[in-house]
Amino acid sequence: MSSVKHRSGQDDATGGIAAMNRRQMLKLMSAGALVALPACTPRRKIVPYVDMPERLVPGEPQVYASALPLQGYARGVLVTAMDGRPIKISGNPRHPASLGATDLFGEAEILSLYDPDRARAPRGPSPIDTWDSFLAEWLPRLDGLAKRRGEGLALLSGRLTSPTALRQLEELRRKLPKLRWYAYEPAPEDGDPAVLGPSASALPRLEDADVVITLDADPLGPGPAQLIHARGFARRRVPGAGAPLRLYAAESAWSLTGAKADHRLAAHPRLLRRVARALAARLGAGTAQGDALPPEAARFVDAAVADIERAPGRALVLGGPALPAATRALCHRINRQLGAPVDHRQLAAAGDAPAGFGELLDDLRQRKVSDLVILEANPAYDAAPTAEFAGLLKGVPFSACLALAASETSSLCRWHLPASHPLEEWSDLRAVDGTASIVQPLIGPLYDTRNVHRLLAMLSGEDDGDSRALVRATWSASHGGADFEGWWRQALYLGVVPGTSPAEAGAESAAPPPDGADDVPGGLVAVIRPDPTVFDGRMANNAWLQECPKPISKEVWSNSVGLSPETARRHGLDDGDVVLLETVYGKIEGHVSVDKGAADEVAALTLGYGRQRAGAVGTGLGYNAYGLVAGPGESVVAVARLAKTGRHEKPIILQDSFSPESKQDSILPLMHLTERGKLREEPRKVDINRPSLLPPKDSTDPYQWGMVIDAAACIGCNACVVACQSENNVPVVGPEEAAAGRFMHWLRIDRYELDDNGKTRQGFEPVPCMQCEHAPCEPVCPVEASVHDSEGLNVQVYNRCVGTRFCQANCPYKVRRFNWFGYASGQEYANLGEDPMPARENPDVTVRARGVMEKCTYCVQRISRARRDAEKSDRPIADGEVVTACQSACPTRAITFGNLKDPNAAVSRLRRDPRHFAMLAELGTRPRTTYLAALVNPSPMLDEEEEP
Amino acid sequence: MSRSLHDATRNSFPERAERLTRVESEAAVDVLVTAPLLDRRSWRRWWIGVAVATLLTLVFVGAIAMILGKGIGVLGNNTSIVWGYPIANYVWWIGIGNAGTLISSLLLLTHQRWRAAINRFAEAMTLMAVAIAGLFPILHMGRPEYFYWLAPYPNVMHLWPQWRSALVWDFWAILSYLLFSIVFWYTGLIPDLATLRDRTLGRAGQLFYGALSLGWRNSARHWYAYEKYYKAMAALAVPLVCSVHSIVGLDFAAGMMPGWQEPIFPPYFVVGAMFSGFAMVVVLAALVRWGLKLEALVTMNHFDAMAKLMVMGATIMGLSYAAEWFSGWYSGRHADHSLLAFEFVGHYAPMYWAMLFCNVMACQIFWFRWARRNMAVLIVVAILVNIGMWLERILIVWNTLAHAYLPSMWSLFAPTIWDWAVTLGSLGFFALMYLIFVRVFPAISMHEVKQLVHEEVAA
Repeated sequence: MSSVKHRSGQDDATGGIAAMNRRQMLKLMSAGALVALPACTPRRKIVPYVDMPERLVPGEPQVYASALPLQGYARGVLVTAMDGRPIKISGNPRHPASLGATDLFGEAEILSLYDPDRARAPRGPSPIDTWDSFLAEWLPRLDGLAKRRGEGLALLSGRLTSPTALRQLEELRRKLPKLRWYAYEPAPEDGDPAVLGPSASALPRLEDADVVITLDADPLGPGPAQLIHARGFARRRVPGAGAPLRLYAAESAWSLTGAKADHRLAAHPRLLRRVARALAARLGAGTAQGDALPPEAARFVDAAVADIERAPGRALVLGGPALPAATRALCHRINRQLGAPVDHRQLAAAGDAPAGFGELLDDLRQRKVSDLVILEANPAYDAAPTAEFAGLLKGVPFSACLALAASETSSLCRWHLPASHPLEEWSDLRAVDGTASIVQPLIGPLYDTRNVHRLLAMLSGEDDGDSRALVRATWSASHGGADFEGWWRQALYLGVVPGTSPAEAGAESAAPPPDGADDVPGGLVAVIRPDPTVFDGRMANNAWLQECPKPISKEVWSNSVGLSPETARRHGLDDGDVVLLETVYGKIEGHVSVDKGAADEVAALTLGYGRQRAGAVGTGLGYNAYGLVAGPGESVVAVARLAKTGRHEKPIILQDSFSPESKQDSILPLMHLTERGKLREEPRKVDINRPSLLPPKDSTDPYQWGMVIDAAACIGCNACVVACQSENNVPVVGPEEAAAGRFMHWLRIDRYELDDNGKTRQGFEPVPCMQCEHAPCEPVCPVEASVHDSEGLNVQVYNRCVGTRFCQANCPYKVRRFNWFGYASGQEYANLGEDPMPARENPDVTVRARGVMEKCTYCVQRISRARRDAEKSDRPIADGEVVTACQSACPTRAITFGNLKDPNAAVSRLRRDPRHFAMLAELGTRPRTTYLAALVNPSPMLDEEEEP
Repeated sequence: MSRSLHDATRNSFPERAERLTRVESEAAVDVLVTAPLLDRRSWRRWWIGVAVATLLTLVFVGAIAMILGKGIGVLGNNTSIVWGYPIANYVWWIGIGNAGTLISSLLLLTHQRWRAAINRFAEAMTLMAVAIAGLFPILHMGRPEYFYWLAPYPNVMHLWPQWRSALVWDFWAILSYLLFSIVFWYTGLIPDLATLRDRTLGRAGQLFYGALSLGWRNSARHWYAYEKYYKAMAALAVPLVCSVHSIVGLDFAAGMMPGWQEPIFPPYFVVGAMFSGFAMVVVLAALVRWGLKLEALVTMNHFDAMAKLMVMGATIMGLSYAAEWFSGWYSGRHADHSLLAFEFVGHYAPMYWAMLFCNVMACQIFWFRWARRNMAVLIVVAILVNIGMWLERILIVWNTLAHAYLPSMWSLFAPTIWDWAVTLGSLGFFALMYLIFVRVFPAISMHEVKQLVHEEVAA
């Protein structure tokens, strides 16, 4: 038990936890769960339940509300812990930036928590270092700094929204008034700190808009507001719910918003700027006259303007980071002019704004910094000019970097201080709309780590023992009084602190900055976006994210240089050619991917790759585009040279063919919305129950499970893919195996280039197991490992499977996955089999052995849990009681699951929808997973034209 | 089918060809056949052959060790194309294994006397090919250690195999065919083993062959029983030959994938198997004849007859392909049309065209008598047919799985070094077993040839 005590954080001596094996770790953690809850309660009442079990039962999951940061902003989550181990993250319905959904980054945090590459103890100048030796060096320096009133001390962080961290910083500043705080976010953002001010936020409400025009903005793409926007978008695309939203997207490279747009214009950033100016001029918000546009863009603008004029107060024009600041300001002006549904808020009190990264560079160059503390940022990787920064960093006498794992920056610092994972320590965070959440830990720190709050306390020379006390100190100041405990418990229970979203501030009407003509470079430009699966690179060592296919290209394990077919042809390049791309700031080498959606003269690049020191999984993949731009957050840069290297690199792509050929109607039909939100086409009459010689499988069982997926709502964001991976212990195969065409995702998202009367539209179609009633996989299995259960599930008996693979060979949907190697049982990729990784596995789901076929089970373990719960109270399982992992993650609520025997269940209602169809229904497999057709809402002005 | 074979071959031996063998006495047959086994003569060619075959066998063993040790992931299969070389090799070897029994039984029942000179080594080929074929389904399994779960053995879980699965039928088909082939081959050997027992001089040889010949005394009573038994076995063999490859065909045809779900498959697989088996017999006959100096017993007349069977086989294969294309087109299903287009112009089209050339076109040269009697042409064409038939099997697997219903899951197969190692290695293992066979057992059925010689000399 002594080790347990030590682990729960009362003792600061470094532990031997690094040397523990899995068995010891599990023992310790289950012991920890038992001890921490009852035994520690007298001292700390920390864990109010969301789902209150009658009593603590080993093997029963506990669910806690917490929050996770993305670009510094919170997304509320509910974390499931099993016997003290967090194993699954899902969305918190009460949280405004989650609405019950998660994104793939949130889902993947579980893997990051158990990442074997995490730093386990401080690393300093001597061979063995501890937090004490760090303090022994820091405290004398602090005395010196105090004498200089903090002069020379610099703190560098990402965006900090944590009220506790800001309070601590404020206090530290009071103590050391001359300390300087710098902050930056590496990736370009849709939110507009550059235009609106650092802490102002302008959050569009898509659900209140009839027309949305995005100019490089990507509200549906990854980011801290994705879940909000995706839900708003989906709400307005349901037939019969009034006038549907119409989405126009002009962009230089594919985004999810562009993929879902009713009209998409592939445009060079320079043309984007002209489109913005034309829109402004037409809508009376521009100072300058719009210049003449190329015909395609002119038609796009005409149609958009016509729609905007029909929808006063219900139109949005969103500018993205590829537009120069002045043009983005122009977009805000258009919105003000239109009375657009945008919430303007001031997120933090003015005056505590940090300096930018550029100022830090200046200070470093002038040798004004003697002590640099980097709080969970990685500028040596992601803040251009990285090489210069690395050189300057070496010249700083004292540098310390708080980081989860060794990084490019931490290795250059005198001290690498290991950071706690957000699931390990107390904190608080604000969402994009300003709502605060308390971040509560699910587990004691696995290693000898500290979070930002404890480090800030250490830096100011105070006791750092208790992040909980630090967080409570922040909130007791504002919510103090007798009932603080009650308030605190309520805040933890809800996962949000009610009433913390600042009131709508109204748009400021600052004078627009001059809109110079030279703001956007002409010619070949690189347009840089956060990566759709690895984002800004902070989670590059997360194998789930690396193996998650990019929504459009379906590439995994690398990024690529996207070029339009025309541009590629002009440079004599083809898929897989490795090119050297050079700007005035830096150069990269990456393979070309010919991208039909890229604008001509644009190299579409993504961030997050090219890590040199990410860990066993993330190091050395792809190129690092951060070095190509002038500084953090920049998105567009002129390309000085694009040259063939002569090398060839086969990109790893998990989907080879994107055309449904002439089978669109049976694979993914496309339907049209009318102005009033009705369907233009006749309802589909697909007879799923085609005549069959096989006896009907109608069972007397009261439950017959089914799933309906709305292809119109699916935005292809991959949250479901990673959620399924997390819930079902789906292993990672690694890049070599993926290159051999193997992957294990039980749920994949097929992308199709759908034909819409000659126009091409993107269709996303999540494909889990169809759970066919007449399943072709079942009769071919020689050992009856693939069998049907009485509730209509097509189940796989893993320990009976001998691996003939006839089931997958005979599956028309190809949804079965084979363990060619022991991907989860002894032959894991890289270090994924090392301790403590096995602790993340869901104990309710078998870990499959080598040579065994596996597949989607409709999360049968969740059905089973619901059944047990229902039987305990002798009632039927209610509609909506069983929520599959994919369904719970989906930000647009595209997935509905339930009992088909219940005619009033949501899933039964959807099966009567006029858009309802079954994939490959003509085969007579009678799938239980069915779909609603994809939808478009084209403008009549653009729809009638014929393609040339 | 048997009728046409009968006619074709009977007509091929008109009286003007007078003799099948060039041996004048029954004793000469004994000398010719047993000499290589009993006399001390140079086995240099044999040792070279054994060295090469052993090398390839080691490759085979290494590949198997790799597959069993590291997992079948070492092969080139992927998420869509879950089957690959082991399945193609299995079907190919089973096909090779068809001809021996066919020659022994079908030609026996149809009174094709020329079979006497070739049936023994063809049967041995069958036995070894089927044994190797039987390895591949096990090697292809994800968990080969549990292959016996396909058998209905009593167990505490009361679990039985799933009888609807073609793979279970397949399990029985291979097993019964293998057991039958062993029995048929061995009982056919008994009179000859007795001859060896009588002729061998060493004590060890006498004991060895004596034990194996099960007390055969060449009595009329023995012969009476033997002839009845052998005919009955031959009659059993014919349906078995057809069933084993029909069921292999059903492994595919019982599925619902485009390109597999075709009723033509069972007969088409049987013909394909005989076709490839005959091609292999031609190659082996040429080698055995050359290696054991049996030119007097295995004459060009034999090759002439086999070439005629091959040209018939090639023509039937061509018709089968045409039937396959027709039913693909006639189905009206998009998936089948798309697959047909993929076969002819898709990624594997060069292989497909090569297969059509090898299997249909190459044999057409045997319409000419000179080609049927030219050893070089015979061997080249027979090898082409064997390559073509292997291509056919791998393409049945690849084309369908690479280009099935959902375009999103279309994929291509990239073979690995282990795919090739296990494929070429199996040839080496076959060669090694075959070389041991010719060293230990009489490669020609002496008692049947003697009967033939007797009749011919008498006539």
